Amino acid sequence: MSMKRLLIAMLVWGTYACAQVQTQDAVHVFPVQGNVSMIVGPGGNTTVQVGKEGIVVVDTQTAAAASQVMAAIRTLSDRPIIWMINTSMDADHMGGNEALIRLGGSTDASERARVITHENVLNRLVAPGIAQARVADAASINDTYFRSPKDFLFNGEAVMVYHMPAAHTDGDSIVLFRRSDVISSGDIFTPDRYPVIDVQNGGSVQGLLDGLNKILEMAVAGKYQEGGTFVIPGRGRLCDEADVVEFRDMVTIIRDRVQDMLKKGMTLEQVKAAKPSRDYDTQYKGSPDVFVESIYKSLAARKP
Amino acid sequence: MTKYLLAWVAVATAYAQLGPAPGKAKPPRSAKEAAPVDFTGYWVSVVTEDWRWRMVTPAKGDFASIPLTAEGRKVGNAWDPAKDEAAGEQCRSYGAPALMRIPGRVHITWADDNTLQIDADQGTQTRLLHFGGKPTPGAAPTWQGYSVAQWEPPVRGVQSPQQGLGATREGARGRSLEVVTTQIRPGYLRKNGPPYSGNTVLKEFFDLSVERNGDPWFVVTTIVEDPQNLTEPFVTSTNFKKQKDASGFSPTACSSR
Amino acid sequence: MSKLTVLVLSAALWGVPAFAQVDFSGEWAPLYHENGPERLPGPELGDYTELPINDAARLRADSWDADRISVVEQYQCRPHGSDYALRGLGNMRVTRDIDPATQRLMAFHTHMLAWDSDRTIYMDGRAHPPEYANHTWQGFSTAVWEGNMLTVTTTHLKENYIRRNGVPRSDQATSTEHWMRHGDYLTVVTVIDDPVFLTEPLVRSDNWYLDPGQHIGIFGCEHAPELPKPEGVVPNHLPGTNPFLREVSEWYGLPYEATRGGAETLYPEYRQKLSGYKAPPKCDRYCTCTTLFDCQLR
Repeated sequence: MSMKRLLIAMLVWGTYACAQVQTQDAVHVFPVQGNVSMIVGPGGNTTVQVGKEGIVVVDTQTAAAASQVMAAIRTLSDRPIIWMINTSMDADHMGGNEALIRLGGSTDASERARVITHENVLNRLVAPGIAQARVADAASINDTYFRSPKDFLFNGEAVMVYHMPAAHTDGDSIVLFRRSDVISSGDIFTPDRYPVIDVQNGGSVQGLLDGLNKILEMAVAGKYQEGGTFVIPGRGRLCDEADVVEFRDMVTIIRDRVQDMLKKGMTLEQVKAAKPSRDYDTQYKGSPDVFVESIYKSLAARKP
Repeated sequence: MTKYLLAWVAVATAYAQLGPAPGKAKPPRSAKEAAPVDFTGYWVSVVTEDWRWRMVTPAKGDFASIPLTAEGRKVGNAWDPAKDEAAGEQCRSYGAPALMRIPGRVHITWADDNTLQIDADQGTQTRLLHFGGKPTPGAAPTWQGYSVAQWEPPVRGVQSPQQGLGATREGARGRSLEVVTTQIRPGYLRKNGPPYSGNTVLKEFFDLSVERNGDPWFVVTTIVEDPQNLTEPFVTSTNFKKQKDASGFSPTACSSR
Repeated sequence: MSKLTVLVLSAALWGVPAFAQVDFSGEWAPLYHENGPERLPGPELGDYTELPINDAARLRADSWDADRISVVEQYQCRPHGSDYALRGLGNMRVTRDIDPATQRLMAFHTHMLAWDSDRTIYMDGRAHPPEYANHTWQGFSTAVWEGNMLTVTTTHLKENYIRRNGVPRSDQATSTEHWMRHGDYLTVVTVIDDPVFLTEPLVRSDNWYLDPGQHIGIFGCEHAPELPKPEGVVPNHLPGTNPFLREVSEWYGLPYEATRGGAETLYPEYRQKLSGYKAPPKCDRYCTCTTLFDCQLR
């Protein structure tokens, strides 16, 4: 191949590759219901509620995506971010906190955005040995709660933050936008992938199921089990109650199987070898072994 | 410029409304030339419906889904495969009303420019679909009967098509093969004996599609009209997938069992 | 633009041919001359015949407990997906939208009796929603004409089933339909591509007849707790414990392996593996079955 042809080929391939990267890292705005929209980005989903009083942001993705996320928010409103809620301590849920406050918060220092997390999030982020990269995330939090729900009225609707104990982690929150009838679930619900049960940070399969069942209790479906309350998951497509049911059922059924194997005295390796999630592996992304192991460990840790 | 454009449009419109110019008529195209789609080739029946009535011989008296009259049920319940064998009637369940439903392969070719031929490996049966043909009155009935075929004309109402004022009939270009078969020997709609009589009229529509993965398929909608044995027309639709070659085409003699 | 211009252009447009199209509007009644027992009273537990399913689908179906429909309240009013609805119970009404300005066909609408399901089939060339949009029972459908055949593509379907005895159809599936009208008969071929549960496309076809006198009533459904149950229970059979899986094999004399489905079992050569099959001496289960009213167990 001549040098000229090689350069042309590289240019073409490079253009194609850049286009792919741009597509994968692209941020999309998707109106949901009422005052609430979903922003789909490389770090998962961000929930945004807008109105005359300002903006509520749930989960800010990563610092790297902050400018794109802010640009997406600005297509919805030019008001300042007044409230920010993080559904868990994960870096891809709160990594953009500081940047979004800087880019989109009020210019009035006395109106600095309130950043809400459950107190367990802050406690873990300030614990000894925490990674240096998380220090800024901890510093962004200025409003923790311990009793559920934490609520406030904003843009004409009740915004209610519920703690989901020992679910994905021990610091999970879900957010209900009551008039818009939208729930932001964080990583308790991830319709296209196995949930991460972060046992090390206080997560458990029973807590995750309790959280999913709580979402089901709060959600009200429209006619014939469709629409009504919408649920914005931590990542994945926009959903409603029926989608949460399928996910809850999946976790329950695999939990039942692992529990049965545990009762029979099977070791973790034996349980993994039995592949109790094999009829779901073709449907859900993520590592089946990691998921099964987290179920096993959280069941084994339960007091009899 | 506008004047020239208007003049061109007016002339073109008038010409389009006039239709073909008078003069020497072109000879009609053969059915093969006029074919809007191509059914030729080897096709395999993919059994995604009525599996336990087609892949195996169902139990005596199992006539689920067939709208049989009391007479039809009585005849069906008297089914005796040994008797059919003794009488040399092993092919009773391979007649035209049932043939396409048997799990097997068919090879479709043009026997001539106006006759489409379907060779079925099951029962080693051959069907001839005659475009422009007419059954001979009084001819002896056969398992496959006499089939008259046409490329289905455009959709129309019950009267002769009228252009009307402002409506056109350019659309609905047919791509279906329509076949009407009569002079069929009495036989069975399924292997276990639900009958059809010698007065049966069989209507079929063959439709072709190409799926997302590039596989051509055809579906044949089969309408069996036999008031003696059926309370209403018996309608089924059977799906065939195209094969690259004759692999699996396995001529097999008729069997009563 | 002068009046003369408008007149001449109007005359030209008057002569422009309509698009290739057939009218599917009308009241359609389903014909159950194929798979009557499966579609009417419902499929037998453990009957996976005629389905090109993989092991994941098999285990899902083996684990499915019919109690789930009543115990899990959110299942009680769950409709069939638009792909399964064309096979299941219920009559159908088809209407169409004609744009008053252009007289072009913009959409077909289907209304199914079961769960009052309404679907729009867009004919205006619009794109399907992005992958992060919500899914619905009916999905999102667009269609194009292929001569006199309407080819419909549906995406964004919620998870549902390809047979209502637990054999699943995932939310990643695409459904393609081919609608063909021949006089007063309608044939719809449904092709389901499901990378999660099928090893090859599932191609089925169903027939309808035009019934102008039919009136589709309201289906109606209200969900309510029917059984006291502990919180969060989801009825399911642990792997290897479902006691019903051999019934269909025993009732119909079929080899158990054949009832497990799979692509191999759909092709004619599979009959060689059925050479040991012996039918029961006579039919004693769903021997008639062409309508809801004549489909008796015995």
